[in-house]
Amino acid sequence: MEMMIYAVLSAEKDPEKFNALMVGVKGIEGADLYSVSCKEITAVISDLNHASLIADRSNAIEYAGVVETLAQDYSLLPMRFGSRMDSTDAVVRMLEKNHDEFRKNLQIVEGKWEFGLKIFCDSEKLKAELRAKPEADYKAQDGLASEVKNSVFRDYVNKKLKEHRFEELLVSYVESVIAEITGNLERMNAVSKFKKLSSATMIIDAVFLLENGKRGELIQTVQDLQAKYPGLTFVLTGPWPPYNFVEISIK
Amino acid sequence: MYDNVIDKSKDITILELLDRVLNKGVILTGDIVISVADVDLVYLGLKLMLSSVETMEQLKSGNSIVKR
Repeated sequence: MEMMIYAVLSAEKDPEKFNALMVGVKGIEGADLYSVSCKEITAVISDLNHASLIADRSNAIEYAGVVETLAQDYSLLPMRFGSRMDSTDAVVRMLEKNHDEFRKNLQIVEGKWEFGLKIFCDSEKLKAELRAKPEADYKAQDGLASEVKNSVFRDYVNKKLKEHRFEELLVSYVESVIAEITGNLERMNAVSKFKKLSSATMIIDAVFLLENGKRGELIQTVQDLQAKYPGLTFVLTGPWPPYNFVEISIK
Repeated sequence: MYDNVIDKSKDITILELLDRVLNKGVILTGDIVISVADVDLVYLGLKLMLSSVETMEQLKSGNSIVKR
């Protein structure tokens, strides 16, 4: 019988509660949950019905629900949806082989939750604001003065130069917002990952790993940033189990 | 007050959730099987096209069952 693996955790701190969770929580399609362990590292699994592997919305949400429920009581490493192994023995062998990596990653996420922050802009409005800045005008004029006059390519070249300068201004603007967020996060001892300019409207896509008790501080920080940058839209989601903060190459 | 900042919007939350469940977490190399049944999984009517879209597109362009 194949197994689906939901998460890896350490159940040492409260084994009774963990056993109760294994009885009370159901896996995808109502499958019973159980666990296999190697030393202090435990994998939460269920027998696998092949239909459970269909990555539709319903199954993905159910899967996330199991991980989320476990995460309420135990710091854990979520497995990616669809992780399966051939038998409980194979799961134990996998835990043995990767024991140190699991332990190290569990230490990193201990007592922490993940939050996501996406920052959106009205790209046309932002473009207009950035172009209105004095340094933009200065750069534009400086650049235009060096253009070859009367060239048939002049308009095209000028257009491209302006686009390039706008891109530079935009990157500089995004970096300044990131620097401000990072400065605040450092005070909270948060681990963060940023992606810049993910799309035309999403200028920042970030995830943070934060201690449970710092949630209010993060929310206040985002509220302050929203007030400071009214032209941007801040979308904070969470708390999530630490999906973005597991760094393990399974052997 | 906090609810205004931590987004509870169902669509965004579902997209964020799908992105994490399908794309993040511990990867069990060689043993992951993902079948694509509902294409609408990734088209929820929002512009927030998260990386799940890329994953689904890759899967759609190949076999419906992918082994890695």
